Amino acid sequence: MVMSKADAFTQAGKTAVLQNIQGTLQFLQRFPPFNQMENAHLAYLVEQCQLRFYAPGESIIKPADGPVEHFYIVKQGRVVGERPHTAKGGTETTFEITTGECFPLAALLGERATRTEHLAAEDTFCLQLNKLAFIKLFALSSPFRDFALRGVSSLLDQVNQQVQQKAVETLGTQYSLNTRLGELAMRHPVTCSPITPLREAVTLMHDQQVGSIVVVDEQKAPLGIFTLRDLRHVVANGTSDFNEAIEGHMTRAPFYLTPDHSAFDAAIAMTERHIAHVCLVKDQRLCGVVSERDLFSLQRVDLVHLARTIRSAQKLENLVAMRGEIGQLVERMLAHGASSTQITHIITLLNDHTVCRVIELVLAEKGDPGVPFSWLCFGSEGRREQTLHTDQDNGILFEARDAAHAAEIRGKLLPIAQQINQNLALCGFTLCKGNIMAGNPELCLSRAEWARRFAAFIREATPENLLGSSIYFDLRVVWGDERGCEQLRQGILDQVGDNRLFQRMMAENALRNRPPVGRFREFVLARKNGEKATLDLKLQGLTPFVDGARVLALAHGIDTNNTLERFRQLVDKEVIERLDGAAYEEAYHFIQQTRMQQHQLQTRENLPYSNRVDPDSLNHLDRRILRESLRQAQRLQSSLTLRYQL
Amino acid sequence: MSLFSWLRPVNPILPGELQQRLERLPAVAELGDCSLREQRWVVLDLETTGLNLNKDRLLSIGAVVIEDGAIDFSQQFERTLQCTELKLGPSVLIHGLGPSAIAAGSDPAQALLEFMEFVGDSPVLAFHAPFDQHMLGRALKEHLGYKLQHPFLDVADIAPLLCPQAHFREAGLDEWIDWFKLEVFERHNASADALATAELVLILFSRARQQQIHSPLNLQQRLSQWKRRRQAPSF
Repeated sequence: MVMSKADAFTQAGKTAVLQNIQGTLQFLQRFPPFNQMENAHLAYLVEQCQLRFYAPGESIIKPADGPVEHFYIVKQGRVVGERPHTAKGGTETTFEITTGECFPLAALLGERATRTEHLAAEDTFCLQLNKLAFIKLFALSSPFRDFALRGVSSLLDQVNQQVQQKAVETLGTQYSLNTRLGELAMRHPVTCSPITPLREAVTLMHDQQVGSIVVVDEQKAPLGIFTLRDLRHVVANGTSDFNEAIEGHMTRAPFYLTPDHSAFDAAIAMTERHIAHVCLVKDQRLCGVVSERDLFSLQRVDLVHLARTIRSAQKLENLVAMRGEIGQLVERMLAHGASSTQITHIITLLNDHTVCRVIELVLAEKGDPGVPFSWLCFGSEGRREQTLHTDQDNGILFEARDAAHAAEIRGKLLPIAQQINQNLALCGFTLCKGNIMAGNPELCLSRAEWARRFAAFIREATPENLLGSSIYFDLRVVWGDERGCEQLRQGILDQVGDNRLFQRMMAENALRNRPPVGRFREFVLARKNGEKATLDLKLQGLTPFVDGARVLALAHGIDTNNTLERFRQLVDKEVIERLDGAAYEEAYHFIQQTRMQQHQLQTRENLPYSNRVDPDSLNHLDRRILRESLRQAQRLQSSLTLRYQL
Repeated sequence: MSLFSWLRPVNPILPGELQQRLERLPAVAELGDCSLREQRWVVLDLETTGLNLNKDRLLSIGAVVIEDGAIDFSQQFERTLQCTELKLGPSVLIHGLGPSAIAAGSDPAQALLEFMEFVGDSPVLAFHAPFDQHMLGRALKEHLGYKLQHPFLDVADIAPLLCPQAHFREAGLDEWIDWFKLEVFERHNASADALATAELVLILFSRARQQQIHSPLNLQQRLSQWKRRRQAPSF
């Protein structure tokens, strides 16, 4: 390229002046939100900065300084937040900020003093931006503004984008379970009127190469659906007159969703209802049909097919073989950017189907005992939070007149229950080491016996009973009549609601597992005989949320088991603040997601399942969010401490 | 014309505008009793054709400013000087400036004047300051007929004075950067070196305050004591 001398001159001058600015720019571009900001905005930021040094223990900003005048970015080192500890005296470290992170956003946006003294924990360099420049950037740059306003939440969004981006890279598609159904249903739906002869309707289906036809009235409201499966029935039943109206053969009042529902909603509906087509209806008019092929056109193993195969499996061996397919399905869903909540939901659904089918097969084999019973599950299964890596926690509930009658029924049910336990173990549900299984006589009880047992838990809060309540009180029916279980749950809620002492003990119990975020280091980790330091995502990350949500839910008469659902209802009942609830939910979600990704990784590398993770193996962003998520668990625990004066 | 004018060295003849600006440069102040933080400092790094104090030439200037105790990113200076008679020598490998970059550089008189305006009356800090002081002084004399009188403090002296526990013999900038575990950006030009030196200075000033050195004057005095003691024969 030929450059005039004057051009070359200005060019050289510009790059020369920018050398150090450029270096700082590149440094900042390693971190959000700077990596998303426009270059010009970022260059403006850097040019307006001052670089300051702080020796260990030196105060950077403190409440007494008055309204915050600067925005800080850590270039090197570590900054800790110290707040005076009201109860114990002294101070407590509330957060740590390291390279690439910024502070104090809330105080700066609120135009107030910081509530926490920020101290350098080691030799620390910070880029300091004056408030005027901060305001200008806030107005100019939307990534910067989003980041400042949303703090950790916007980080979580980025992780989700990252996950999906990775999926797009490997699968070459934008497909996601969050896709609107309206976007998936490309084709115009094939429809006919109720009086259309069968032959004509089938011809229409054949011509249009579709598996279903929707029967509509004059206003285009769906009256019924006729699918290839229905056609099989028609043929199998020996109907010879194909001039009959389709009305007589269609499935009436077909299930429908709106175009705004997600692909996930449709997948769940298909799995639950064993249907292969979902009508899309807007303003009572049919506007589309989504088939399971549309949903899973990219997946070899499909969810609906899997659910149906499980429910109709003729032999135990078929069920055993299916476990591997569930694993593949989960892997594919993770790759497609499904959230941990969606995945645990689907695993729970498929597991429920498997359990039901195992019970049905055992009953068919051993003969019906002639006594109605319900199959209960507890713990994570009860909360619908199962991952692939799962233990059996189950029991049996039946109705009996008295103790003698109960013992008699127990005698009949126990052999069946034991067989079910063994068969479930073959299907991949590990036998429970604590023998919390329906085949155990102590867990095959009549409603009165269960009620007595639960009442004892609440009355005498021994450590064993507290542990028991944390498992059994998340009970749910997988198979059989649900009414007995409802009554038991109501009994628990009534008793716990009245018993402040028991609530307090449970709260104390919920503090056993402390999230490993520490005063002086990012993570405080267990190091076992020279191995790499790791943290337990389940015990140290999820359990604090699960236990905390349970105490609060039981104490406030909330009858749902799922941890996230409990948080939502606690917010609705104004037991916890909306913002806190959202933060807990996000944090729980993220830890669970990290845990599942670990599990998938372990499967791929043929390693045994483990909930332990080495934070150093995570990327920078994930590590930072994991740390913030664990801090939310810490906050939940301190709110319990306060509420129950522990 | 003065009778003795032929005795003086020949001053370069400058265009009127440059001459006026040269005359407006502030008078140089001695180091004072203000606090280290109140003093504005210029941290300097030069690139030259080599290490020979009399023969080698100035190629580029990089400088940053420490003001109010912090490195101010809005005040930075970097110029490559145009240098026509330069032969391509092995030093290209050291300074990394190609002949084309040097040919495209600024007019030396212009650039040096802009630099002195940038410095103002501030004292100068540099790693191995006597070298920079000499090379800059020679260039200023040659191109502007200007006598450099600014106080220079050597960071290579300040560091061991304040950190006697670091047992270095003749440590370079890299050794000190490692010692303080400084994470610096890639350094391949004068201004990146100036920035790294300035970050080192921020740490050293923090140490100085801990050691009851509060003013620039104070620092200068402690430095000369330290140097005298080092040069005194030990028994």
